[in-house]
Amino acid sequence: MDGAQDRQWEEWMRAAQQGDARAYDALLRAALPFLRGVARRRIRDAAEAEDAVQDALLTIHQLRHAYDPARPIRPWLAAITERRAIDRLRRSGRRGMRETPLDDFGETLPDPLANRGEANLAAAELRAAVADLPQAQRTALALAKLEDLSLAEASARSGMSVGALKVATHRAVKTLRRKLGGEEG
Amino acid sequence: MESEALIAELARRLKPVRVLPSPARQAAAWFGLAAATVTAVTLLDGVRPDLAARLAVPSELAQWLASIATALAGALAAAMLARPDRPVAWALLPLAPLVAWLAALGFGAAADVARLGPAAMEVGENWGCVVFTAGLGLVLTLGLLVMLRHAGPVRPVPVLIFGGLASAALTSAGCSVAHRIDAALPVLVWHGAAVLLAVGLAWAFGGRLLVRPPGG
Repeated sequence: MDGAQDRQWEEWMRAAQQGDARAYDALLRAALPFLRGVARRRIRDAAEAEDAVQDALLTIHQLRHAYDPARPIRPWLAAITERRAIDRLRRSGRRGMRETPLDDFGETLPDPLANRGEANLAAAELRAAVADLPQAQRTALALAKLEDLSLAEASARSGMSVGALKVATHRAVKTLRRKLGGEEG
Repeated sequence: MESEALIAELARRLKPVRVLPSPARQAAAWFGLAAATVTAVTLLDGVRPDLAARLAVPSELAQWLASIATALAGALAAAMLARPDRPVAWALLPLAPLVAWLAALGFGAAADVARLGPAAMEVGENWGCVVFTAGLGLVLTLGLLVMLRHAGPVRPVPVLIFGGLASAALTSAGCSVAHRIDAALPVLVWHGAAVLLAVGLAWAFGGRLLVRPPGG
């Protein structure tokens, strides 16, 4: 683009490195459309691209001492913005793999009992996860949580001490929570 | 937050900075300091008595010089790649001396086998070199990565790898002067192991020394 404009940007950056806030403000405002252009080439979603631009602004701020004033500024700004845009894309790609659009699970039939597929699936998953637990944890879980016995009764029935039951139940719940993707315990 | 508001905030927080020296100067400064450190440690460790005779052998001299060239090229490549606007092609620079280094060791090993027969295949044990290269190499890598910590938000991985390579190559050159390994194959195996270890450690843990990217 315009060489004179680039010289002006470089001049502003040199001043910014020396602490001139007004030059810095002018530079970043003048360069903003250019940064947006770079980000938009990588990211189609406008809001996501703007987030990448803001990440780029923060990185420019972090690295302003690493800009060599003898070199053109435009490739330096572009490389930083590209990097942040790629990072954004990667992060949103990873998020996209974990998330599934909600509409796919919408009701398919008016009868409430017909829409129990998901609940059945969850129950099967839970049963499989419980079956995978060690014997002691499974017993503790069955007595204390499913049959709703008091710890003393559960202890009498299983022959495990109250302390061991408490630990085993706690561990079992933690394992299930982790396996079934609940929040960390 | 609007980007314009972020800009106003950044400008408000602006403080003057000391501009970094050029990458070539950074690499030269690190290489000078690192070479002095390796020389000092090597002298303390004791120079092998037959050093002059070893360096008179062309393949030995070649591999020793190539290891030093690898260190220099690795440091320069790391310093260049730490800047966002420098071309990625700098990553190719250390490859030539690295290949020359490995080739010289390979030729040396082949020549030893031709001269001594199967006895030259004996790799033996040389943990000393691994400890020397990985230990001292770690200190030198630490220094280089702290110097190049601005690589964090832009191109951390090649900087970590070349930083580890440069340090390990230089300590390996020091090790050749101090330790007595007579055949090229053990040198290849043990120095190679030490270099891989240093590069692996730098790659796995060096990232903590670098500046963290926003949101990363």
